[in-house]
Amino acid sequence: MKKSTTGSELWIDQILLNRKIIITSGTGGVGKTTVSAALAVRAALLGKRAIVVTIDPAKRLATSLGLSGLGNDPMDLTERLDDLLMGLPAGLRNGLSHPIDHRSSQGRLYALMPDAQETFERFVGSLSSHPSITKRVIENPIFQIFSKEFSGANEYMALQRLLALHKTGDYDCIILDTPPSRNALAFLEAPQLLARFFDEKLIRWLVLPANKIVAIGMKKALGLLEKLTGAAFMTHLFEFASALFDIRLKFSGALNQVTELLKSQDVGFLMVSNPSPDTLSDIFHFLDNLKGHGFHFEGIIFNRTHFSPWKTSSETLQDFETPAQRHAHKILEALSARQRKAIQLLSVALRERKLQTQGVTLPELSRDVHQLSDLLVIAQAWTWPKNLENL
Amino acid sequence: MDSKVDRSPLAEGLKRKILFISGKGGVGKTCVSLALARALSENHAKKKILWVTFEDPATPLGVLKQTRDNLWELNCESSVAFEEYIELKLGIPALAKVFTQNKLMKYLAKAAPGIHELVLLGKVWYERSHYDHVIVDMPSTGYGLAMFQSTRNFSQLFQGGPLHNDAEDMLKSFKNPSECAQIIISLPEEMPLQESLELDQFLLKLFPKNPPFFLVNRVFPHLAADDPERMEQLGTPPTWMSPIPKDGEDYAFRRSILEKHNLRLLSDANISWSELEFIAPDAERTQESIVHGITHEILQRGYLR
Repeated sequence: MKKSTTGSELWIDQILLNRKIIITSGTGGVGKTTVSAALAVRAALLGKRAIVVTIDPAKRLATSLGLSGLGNDPMDLTERLDDLLMGLPAGLRNGLSHPIDHRSSQGRLYALMPDAQETFERFVGSLSSHPSITKRVIENPIFQIFSKEFSGANEYMALQRLLALHKTGDYDCIILDTPPSRNALAFLEAPQLLARFFDEKLIRWLVLPANKIVAIGMKKALGLLEKLTGAAFMTHLFEFASALFDIRLKFSGALNQVTELLKSQDVGFLMVSNPSPDTLSDIFHFLDNLKGHGFHFEGIIFNRTHFSPWKTSSETLQDFETPAQRHAHKILEALSARQRKAIQLLSVALRERKLQTQGVTLPELSRDVHQLSDLLVIAQAWTWPKNLENL
Repeated sequence: MDSKVDRSPLAEGLKRKILFISGKGGVGKTCVSLALARALSENHAKKKILWVTFEDPATPLGVLKQTRDNLWELNCESSVAFEEYIELKLGIPALAKVFTQNKLMKYLAKAAPGIHELVLLGKVWYERSHYDHVIVDMPSTGYGLAMFQSTRNFSQLFQGGPLHNDAEDMLKSFKNPSECAQIIISLPEEMPLQESLELDQFLLKLFPKNPPFFLVNRVFPHLAADDPERMEQLGTPPTWMSPIPKDGEDYAFRRSILEKHNLRLLSDANISWSELEFIAPDAERTQESIVHGITHEILQRGYLR
């Protein structure tokens, strides 16, 4: 990766400056959406035309990003960001670990929350050769269920939207916050799952008469399917399949474009994780899979790192005035120990894998993100745990 | 929010046969549900308890494991459950094989959104007749909702087939407050609380006669109660200048103020809740130490009474 011209030495800045698309992954509850928003703010401060694309932000975060109203279009937050920068109190500024002193004037900040269903309908519309085909697909009950909240559809639409945004050329730093899932990889698997859906050979079986040998087994299986699901479903299924058949080539083309884009030098993946040994297997699983796909892994963001307990172990428990203090101290002690353990295990495992992986940490906040100014503070508070510095 | 929703205390819900433990990712559903299963098995030596999780990559998929005399743990996997279900429906194993081994059916089962969810939930529903309690560690909110939603969707989609009837029977069970309880796990943090309120509304719409129970996990010790003067001085969290605390002590003090502040989201919605305290995790065996702690606390607090 080439060095930036701004002279920033912080690893995360190099990524923000050099990649056009940054995809954040992580399991639910790690604070991925907040981190993604803060990354976009930092990119804007560094002079990028940055946009954060998020699927399902918490209400308050959505409000802070101006996304509380419905809408499938980017929201321009640049002016609000500038106003906030002007008014940032010195006391607050001084506490930041990596402040950006002068915001580059080219920088802009946008946020977008795509509406999966609308995006999907638009997408089908753009693929089909005739409005009547679009209508047939969209009105089919199988499609209607398919395009709603099911796993895969959201991920896929996020990728389509990403491709469309990239093509506009309006943004030079797109941060994609992947939809929440149990496993950070679900997002990567969505395209293949959909590709299978559009597998020509398979749709063909439903749409066209197959050769005789296949036909006997297929007829039997379809008969059983009808027995289980009822005649109405079969009608919808054949209809859906024939509509898919009409748009399959363009669909696979669009899918290939997304996959190619994800593999390109323009795109980097960041893993967001909490500092606990439990999350390490997730991290490595994710790493190996990215490698398998040929995607670029940039590093790890440890979010919500814990504060050290305020008394050293040499001070005795009697120093605490109340049981609540004692208990709170014990919790922080345990969390810090767990965090140290996680970082130690991570560095050993990375060394074993001969990986030059970098990362930053963000501290646990004392309250939830309430406004853009909070994101502005977080965007300048990245640090890197000392133990990993020499990796 | 409908203030007329009649909610019973958690202990009522925990008496029911199927317990769905749901909530946002990272709130501790797995630990709390496992602890509930253990506490139930300790309290009722003669009862058979099943704990179910869905497709946990960390343990072998589709495997049922007996962990105590009266406790079983199942890592439910959809392709195994799908084959079992088809065999059950078609009656003849050879016929089921024709179906499940067919390339197109394999593809439909894998690619069709919702089938996966339907089959996993169907497995839970089917197992209920073999156990006294089934505790289900649901996937995170969005995906967990899709599981119930898919049951309803397929019931509509499969009009006239036997799958429709099964989906309807499942929904009937889930609706029934003498059979099932929805337990929403949350944290005293804003985002998880907001999301649990949304989940509550969604579940109430699906099952209006069976309102969910709220269990707030990881409640931090209330330091601020010991120093009301300092609490007064700090004011409410939205008025704090920076979201970043100065040090550990500042963090701990503010956190205890913040949690009380956040929990007003529930009281404003007229929702009563039960609590579990923050358990300091053991660095070596995090999950085991936490499950152990929560099991103890559930019994101590009399939630199974």
